Amino acid sequence: MKELSCEEVLIAQMAAADGEEAGFSKEQLAAHLTGCANPQHELKQLQAVDQVLAGHTLSEPSIDLWPAIENRIAKRTRAALHWRPFALIGLLLVVYKLLEMLPARDPGMAFKLVPLVIVVLLFVLIKENPFKINTELVLER
Amino acid sequence: MDDVEAIKKCQQGDREAFRHLVERYQKRAVGHAVAILFNRDDAEDAVQEAFVDAFKAIGAFDTSRTFYQWFYVLLRNRCYKMTARHRPTESLDEALLLVSPRGVADETRFALERALFSLTREEREIVCLKYFNGLSYDELATHLQIPRGTVMSRLFYARQRLQGKLTGVFRREQEA
Repeated sequence: MKELSCEEVLIAQMAAADGEEAGFSKEQLAAHLTGCANPQHELKQLQAVDQVLAGHTLSEPSIDLWPAIENRIAKRTRAALHWRPFALIGLLLVVYKLLEMLPARDPGMAFKLVPLVIVVLLFVLIKENPFKINTELVLER
Repeated sequence: MDDVEAIKKCQQGDREAFRHLVERYQKRAVGHAVAILFNRDDAEDAVQEAFVDAFKAIGAFDTSRTFYQWFYVLLRNRCYKMTARHRPTESLDEALLLVSPRGVADETRFALERALFSLTREEREIVCLKYFNGLSYDELATHLQIPRGTVMSRLFYARQRLQGKLTGVFRREQEA
């Protein structure tokens, strides 16, 4: 039979005191306790902690988190939608560049206007003229 | 509406169904977050963030698990992220996180709160889940995703550390 340490005995005794499976047989624990008084003393101290804890409960103030959660969901959804058009425009520009680099094709002059159209689209999207300096105080958007 | 039905509706984008889940589990979630963070405001913040995470990820919900088991992992991640960022600094005088049974002095409650606050988050979590939420060892193992043996030893070391912090309380009780 394996020789148990004081710590193993204490852990097992605390588990038994909690009404749980101790992991070792009563005989194994008893064999240790006959030759060693340390765990008994410490067990009493740990059980005192148990008693102090057992009487207390966590306070439960009434809460309604839904309005705040709904707000956060809406905010995150908006934020997620916001970057998508920009990603699409970026992708369009990359595709354009790749097509332009194809040596065997000459897409013609009209094709050269594509980036310009994309940039105009971008300005329309952000609803702002980047070349205009706003002299008015903007408090809120 | 039961959870399975609510989750199916949430997966189709129904926010009202999600509200149902929030209202059902928010109190338990705050209790569990307080167990880790030991700060009411941070706990509520973490719960809100975890519910937002849950709403976003509900499409990938594993139906073989219960909603709360799945949600608890998200909540725990949020709480741990929060503790990694900063240590809660709320004054424990004002926190009133615990409710004492009748006849127990405020000093004892306060000493216990301080003692719990001094534990590591893992120790505090396991102690709170066991004592204040009444979880068994097997439930703790499932909840925390650790072996049963680790539950036993972690609880033991946490109680040992609490015992060291509460010696003043025991001395006062003996004198009284």
